[in-house]
Amino acid sequence: MRSNPIGRQFAVSTIALAVSFGAHAVTDEDILNDHNTADDVVSYGMGVQGQRFSTLDILNTDNVKSLQPVWAFSFGGEKMRGQESQPLIKDGVMYVTASYSRAYAIDAKTGEEVWQYEARLPDGIMPCCDVINRGGALYEDLFIFATLDAKLVALNKDTGKVVWIKEVADYQEGYSITAAPIIVKGKLITGVSGGEFGIVGKIEAYDPTSGDKLWTRPTVEGHMGYVYQDGEAIENGISGGEAGKTWPGDMWKTGGAATWLGGTYDPETDTLFFGTGNPAPWNSHLRPGDNLFSSSRLAIDPDDGSIKWHFQTTPNDGWDYDGVNELISFDYEENGEVIKAAATADRNGFFYVLDRTNGSFIRGFPFVDEISWAEGLDENGRPIYTDDGRPGNPADVDSEKGEPVVAQPAFLGGKNWMPMAYNQDTELFYVPSNEWAMDIWNEPVSYKKGAAYLGAGFTIKPANDEYIGVLRAIDPKTGEEVWRYENRAPLWGGVMTTSGNLVFTGTPEGYLKAFDATTGEELYRFNTGSGVVGTPITWSMDGEQYVSITSGWGGAVPLWGGEVAKVVKNFNQGGMLWTFKLPKEAASQDVASR
Amino acid sequence: MWPTRCFAVLTLMLVSLVLSTFVNANESILDRAPERTYDIVIESGFLNVGVYRDFPPYSYEKDGEPFGVDVDIGKKIAEGLGVEFRVHWITPDETLEDDLRNNVWKGHYLAKRRIADVMMRVPYDKKYAYMRDSTGEVINEQVVMFGPYQQEQWQIAYDSDAVDSVGTVAVFQYHPIGVEIDTLPATYLTSAFGGRLRDKTHHFSNIGQAFQAMAEREVSAVMGMRAEIDYELGVHPNRGFAVADNGFPGMGKQVWDVGMAVKNTHRQLGYAIEEIVDRMVREGEMAEIFERHGLRYSMPAFYEEVLVTSDGEA
Repeated sequence: MRSNPIGRQFAVSTIALAVSFGAHAVTDEDILNDHNTADDVVSYGMGVQGQRFSTLDILNTDNVKSLQPVWAFSFGGEKMRGQESQPLIKDGVMYVTASYSRAYAIDAKTGEEVWQYEARLPDGIMPCCDVINRGGALYEDLFIFATLDAKLVALNKDTGKVVWIKEVADYQEGYSITAAPIIVKGKLITGVSGGEFGIVGKIEAYDPTSGDKLWTRPTVEGHMGYVYQDGEAIENGISGGEAGKTWPGDMWKTGGAATWLGGTYDPETDTLFFGTGNPAPWNSHLRPGDNLFSSSRLAIDPDDGSIKWHFQTTPNDGWDYDGVNELISFDYEENGEVIKAAATADRNGFFYVLDRTNGSFIRGFPFVDEISWAEGLDENGRPIYTDDGRPGNPADVDSEKGEPVVAQPAFLGGKNWMPMAYNQDTELFYVPSNEWAMDIWNEPVSYKKGAAYLGAGFTIKPANDEYIGVLRAIDPKTGEEVWRYENRAPLWGGVMTTSGNLVFTGTPEGYLKAFDATTGEELYRFNTGSGVVGTPITWSMDGEQYVSITSGWGGAVPLWGGEVAKVVKNFNQGGMLWTFKLPKEAASQDVASR
Repeated sequence: MWPTRCFAVLTLMLVSLVLSTFVNANESILDRAPERTYDIVIESGFLNVGVYRDFPPYSYEKDGEPFGVDVDIGKKIAEGLGVEFRVHWITPDETLEDDLRNNVWKGHYLAKRRIADVMMRVPYDKKYAYMRDSTGEVINEQVVMFGPYQQEQWQIAYDSDAVDSVGTVAVFQYHPIGVEIDTLPATYLTSAFGGRLRDKTHHFSNIGQAFQAMAEREVSAVMGMRAEIDYELGVHPNRGFAVADNGFPGMGKQVWDVGMAVKNTHRQLGYAIEEIVDRMVREGEMAEIFERHGLRYSMPAFYEEVLVTSDGEA
């Protein structure tokens, strides 16, 4: 951490102390109302439901063309790589994380740094997919984020001083955390990331002020959940009731299902929604059964971590279609009745609309152009597998290279981690998606850690010559694609939408772009200098509307070779935070011309 | 003639010293893998030997020092080159391709300058070395795999109190067996014979833990690499644990040669190392190292062919 002169530090912390009990502390109420308060963003998702919808309309389809950058901030150092963070904003201060587990507080008016924190990462961490971080949480006088070595770090939000650090899981066993934690009912909730090293996913709640663990819920059938009282672990039921119902042998012990993308919360049903990753081992033929709760969405009671219901998108996943993508709560009317729904766009290419009160399947449809592995969904939302759509069992091959199986979408998914947005005015979801396929074949000669091994080889390839990325407007009531915007490189950044009838997102080519939410017409673009894989936010300050986004190419896409690499290989790395606003003249002209 | 030559050598040394300092300084700024060719290795006075971390009996720490057969071989190589042995611990990734990329030719993106000059325990297999992906590219073209020094194979050890004998693997329909997670034994035992051994297969993070479970009678047998099994039998003496001599029907790769790898632009270093290791294999020094660690040793199949041919018996 950068240290300030002592005098100034003292002054700052005195003010901090004074304000932390006053208007400037972030409360549970602030967080629950985040979606309605335009002058701050105090949650990942711009509201706990994760709709990423702002009621602001100062900026609209008529004037967005006049949007201007007001400041840019460099994350500094030699540590570039992917910047996937969503900033938070409170009382004119922006809080943002960056690659290599770094955090910053920045004056939102001037772009000047208030403080900076760099986690000290151990040697020997092996994160699977770049050294990114997706953001933090604000609570009372704390800014809390998670690190690549699977720790939670709570900093004083005004000074950047460490208040507490807690290990969520052992990085040496293969655990890591990249997602933003969330605050629900005074609890800090987090998931974990982990590779194919036999980890077990879990969701945990901590006391945000002390860092004490409150409950833990494993996401693989057969593992015991616990609540903690006075430092003592009290059994709170085995996930799924008992071991061995949907797993053979002892594979549930190392079943995977990492909760690496964090979760959302629905106050109306008082439910946390977390997605889970693929099951281990990767070869699905070794683990016949549904392998619960891998590649699923889990509804969790925030008070004690009990599982209320689950919905599995890819049972016995053999394609690495993690089920981690965000489940967004939303209401819609049908036959005069309000339906309490939730939607998710899965890696596997299907868009699901669920009843969020009980997890029952309302409807599902492909949101990508082609799905090879399933013919469709049955009445319960379970995939109807295509014959020969599943990658073969490497153990069946003696010496010859197996025939490649083409799977679409590729394992990086019809949609990956990058969050979609729901606009309450247009009643459409805006989904950042990709059109790509993969060849998977059994590799008869393969080695691992000095030993013979049975592996699979794969290459990922674009489905079309002209584009991979597609930003789609999807009607959740009909499954209709209302409009699409095609992008040459794969889309890897989040989406945000506003009452100004606008949709914002970034592209790996470096642009922040704004679209007409109704028609999909591109209305604005600005090149930030490096690929955008972050998620934009908007807020108001002194009566003006601002937009911010991180810029810095990276994430999982550039780590894979093949044809996709040819599209992205010339994008340069970066590490910047850009902030834009509509100049006053443009805003007033607009009012005058109405 | 003498003085001139002396001067020339001195100049050359000076130039190369200046040059190498300059190159090193530059590379640390550029944050990319250092190009440690044979000359630079010799001049620097040390050799970074890549070995897997926590991987007994091949490479692990004992009393805070690097230990194991691969460490011993690495020390012999450094000695042969006249340089200091330095250990480069490798945290294994998902496949050997990843380990070669992270440790031999490109460097891991978290620490690009951390590179092994030579990596031990790299299987020596022509088919693997020239393997191509679906677009026709040679997957491992950035490295040279050379110098086979041992033949490794799969092996089962069993608890003779729990199982009378292991005539065939069919007994593991009835007796629990431990394996390391995500290895060929794990795949074999959970897929062979229509999955009939699947429910009795217990997964552990390493062979040491599997043996611990056998000691606690949670499993009746363990399957792993022969050297690992031999080592663990030494850790658990007088327990009635025995090695089985069963076959592994339907299993693809049962025996394989193990050698080393260097970056493909560092062949000269590879040749020098190969010469040292080749002599160790032929003169029996390699077998002695394994014996000293209490392990059985098999010469690589590569030598069976070579030695037979050179004896003129083929």
